[in-house]
Amino acid sequence: MQVFLQTIVGGVSLGAVYALVALGFSLVYRTMGLVNFAHGNVVTVGAYLASTFYLSTKLPFALAMVIAIALTGAIGLVIERVLRPLENRDFDLMLIGTIGFGIVLDALIIMIWGATGRAVPSPVPSAPLDLFGLRIRTYDLVVLAIAAVATVLLVLFLSRTKRGAAMQAVAMDHEAATAVGIHVGHSNAVAFMIGGGLAALAGGLVGPLLYVSPALGGALGIKGFAAAILGGFGSIPGAIVGGLAIGILDSFTAGHFQGYSELVTFLVFTVIIMVRPTGVFGERTVNRA
Amino acid sequence: MRSRLALIALIAVAAWLLPYGLDSYAIHVVNVILIFAILATGLGLAMGIAGQVNLAQVAFFGVGAYVTAILTTRAGLGFWVSALLAVAATVAIGLVVGTPALRVQSHYLGIVTLGLALAFTNWVTNAEITGGAEGISAIPVPVLPGVDLSSEYLYYYLELIVLALALGFGLFVVRTGLGRRMRAMRDDSLAAGSLGAEVPLLRMTAFLLASVYGGVGGVLYAGLIRYVAPESFGIANMFLLLAMVIIGGRQSLIGCVVGAVSLALVREALVDHPTIAQVAYGTVVVLVVVFAPTGLAGLPARARVLRQRRRGRQGAAPRLGPFTPYEPTAAPPDQATTMLRVAEVTMRFRGLKALDRVSLTVDRGEIRGVVGPNGSGKTTLFNVISGLYRPTGGRVEFRGRDMTGSTPYRLARAGMSRTFQNLRLFGDLTVEENVLVALDRSRTLSSWRYLLGPVGILRRDRELHRQARAVLDRYGLADFAGLPPKSLPYGIQRRVEIARAVAAAPSLLLLDEPAAGLNGEEVRQLSDIVRAIRDSGVTVIVIEHNMGLVMSLCERITVLAGGRVIAEGEPAQVARTPAVIEAYLGDSMSSDDLPSVPEVTR
Repeated sequence: MQVFLQTIVGGVSLGAVYALVALGFSLVYRTMGLVNFAHGNVVTVGAYLASTFYLSTKLPFALAMVIAIALTGAIGLVIERVLRPLENRDFDLMLIGTIGFGIVLDALIIMIWGATGRAVPSPVPSAPLDLFGLRIRTYDLVVLAIAAVATVLLVLFLSRTKRGAAMQAVAMDHEAATAVGIHVGHSNAVAFMIGGGLAALAGGLVGPLLYVSPALGGALGIKGFAAAILGGFGSIPGAIVGGLAIGILDSFTAGHFQGYSELVTFLVFTVIIMVRPTGVFGERTVNRA
Repeated sequence: MRSRLALIALIAVAAWLLPYGLDSYAIHVVNVILIFAILATGLGLAMGIAGQVNLAQVAFFGVGAYVTAILTTRAGLGFWVSALLAVAATVAIGLVVGTPALRVQSHYLGIVTLGLALAFTNWVTNAEITGGAEGISAIPVPVLPGVDLSSEYLYYYLELIVLALALGFGLFVVRTGLGRRMRAMRDDSLAAGSLGAEVPLLRMTAFLLASVYGGVGGVLYAGLIRYVAPESFGIANMFLLLAMVIIGGRQSLIGCVVGAVSLALVREALVDHPTIAQVAYGTVVVLVVVFAPTGLAGLPARARVLRQRRRGRQGAAPRLGPFTPYEPTAAPPDQATTMLRVAEVTMRFRGLKALDRVSLTVDRGEIRGVVGPNGSGKTTLFNVISGLYRPTGGRVEFRGRDMTGSTPYRLARAGMSRTFQNLRLFGDLTVEENVLVALDRSRTLSSWRYLLGPVGILRRDRELHRQARAVLDRYGLADFAGLPPKSLPYGIQRRVEIARAVAAAPSLLLLDEPAAGLNGEEVRQLSDIVRAIRDSGVTVIVIEHNMGLVMSLCERITVLAGGRVIAEGEPAQVARTPAVIEAYLGDSMSSDDLPSVPEVTR
């Protein structure tokens, strides 16, 4: 029982990061029906930017994060602007376009930061808490708190601000939204920008948990995507639940299957997609008639 | 045609002479390029032709290479036996990877196949049998009597022949029935299914083909390099392959080969700066999807269009000809007289009840009208009848057989055909090919003939082309045969869709708002066409808002409102029913729905 609970606790903080990655996917998807395949690479860029400002420039961790978020938000804007001619026209081509951006970002990361990775020390250096015999790292709590705050802010933005409401309108019907005077391109740009920002948030937070390397984003991206699908693509609560579920699943497979954990995670994910493509909270059908 | 043959001969000679001008390093590079060309062709078949986003092609490649390596080094089998088993194993894996395509498409399929490809690399880096991260070395040289394949110059010829065969077979598939159905499915899987294309089987066929090409590529790779390691089959190479296919032009197999060769050459030129090469080809991929989605293969066609525009149109503009009616045939008297029986069908979408215990019986040889205000469930009823929706309750009997919840392609093969409210023509096929898809009733399962009886396939295809010409002539569409349907005026597109639906030789034809968007003259022609179709022995059900057309065309009318049948009978009688008048005037104030003055007077 103790081991079981400890495994869950171990998975929750990574799960929160997956949830943030999933939120980035979902936000773009619900606004424009597109899966941004470059998202994982943007996460890596965010992780490198945050760690560079934190380690090399010796900025405080929080400030490093904010700068990284701003920069990746700008990357999101660039991706959206370049692919805008394809919006609402050909989703398969847009998907491939985002893969193209992923290829470019991947190469740029290696050009700028090299092919080897780096370890990032935890910004809150204190001993793990002991709670009923469970060891909880303080940094895990920080990750959870930041993820929770980000989610709440995102929900408030979508439901309480004019821009957020406009984005919801575009998500429901982009033609009707255009008819009432909403600039669909701007709305999509904001979605991509926030998506980029969330990527840096996830990447920056995961730095001290994992090793920051060019391969980081691939694994995080695909697991975040799995989380988004598991919860129901496009759904915000779904992204959170899915993220935590994948994190815990990850933690268990790492314990039981060691090197094969990735294999098992992807197989489970494939089976889930086959059984229930719309996820737990999903409402949209996959094949729209 | 002659110039094309000359070009092929020229390329063949050039390819044959190429090794004489290359040093030993260059021939090695060329050999690797040819393998990528084979892989790209397979990926092009799955992605470009069948529209199945397959990001696991590199894993198929890996399975082929690894199985060859394991069987030759660990099990001591001969190279060619191992090669055969390796391709078989790749096909098995390919079918497993393809199964999600039965449930999901597009983005979802992309991520699932990518995940499975990652799972494969994860497995080979960890498993003992695959030699872990070090991989497997000392794969024996393939033995071919009289040919020393350890020489890369001779290996080149082996690869060249395999590539020529692979490309030739791929082109053969693309240009005949199987490929046409796959392309139709790519453009619009719902319409393809409604014309009898077995969509699930076709998707699996796409993965089958991709895995065969991947497996063959893997075998050749194992024989060439004689060493396999996980990094050759990672995501980086997958994206490289994808870039080759996109840059070359995913809808053309020759484009895929051209893309593979040119990208590989560029990469070779930048071999000392791999990251610069990667930035370059990633950028090109983005530029291609935005500015030239058809890739290099699409450039000649684009240039032609530009040239024509500069010179101005030449020759006579294509014209719509008159429709030639069918020879009237009487329905065989001994058969049952009921064509379709819908009994108590209910269709719920979550809270909404779109159809509420709808019953309707249509007799053989009838033209039945289905009318009702917007949102009354007419199209939902069609979707249930044609198998796109499985009803929540009730039964649908077609020609005396219970077909409730049957798939669209089974219903189509049983003799049902339909058109769609918003036109679902296959956009990247020509008008003639649109008709060909409907005419072609060959089964996907009989595709083994592509291997064993290619001549029969070609002969049959020629016969189908003849029939398609006849159909287009009858509908006055002969001038448009080679054009993409999107380039045609709306009214003509509507006629193409009807011609396509009738080409499937249905016994029941469902027309969903065939007059929408047509002008008065076109509506009159439509009415003649529909009557002629019925006189040739086809039962017709038509949803229509144009009350004039309905009144003059249909023998009986069923009126739906709020998902229920509120009236049924002869047109004049139905128009006087109080419930109908109330449904139109009470529920919907929209004036186009008013069954007022007939617009068509005959």
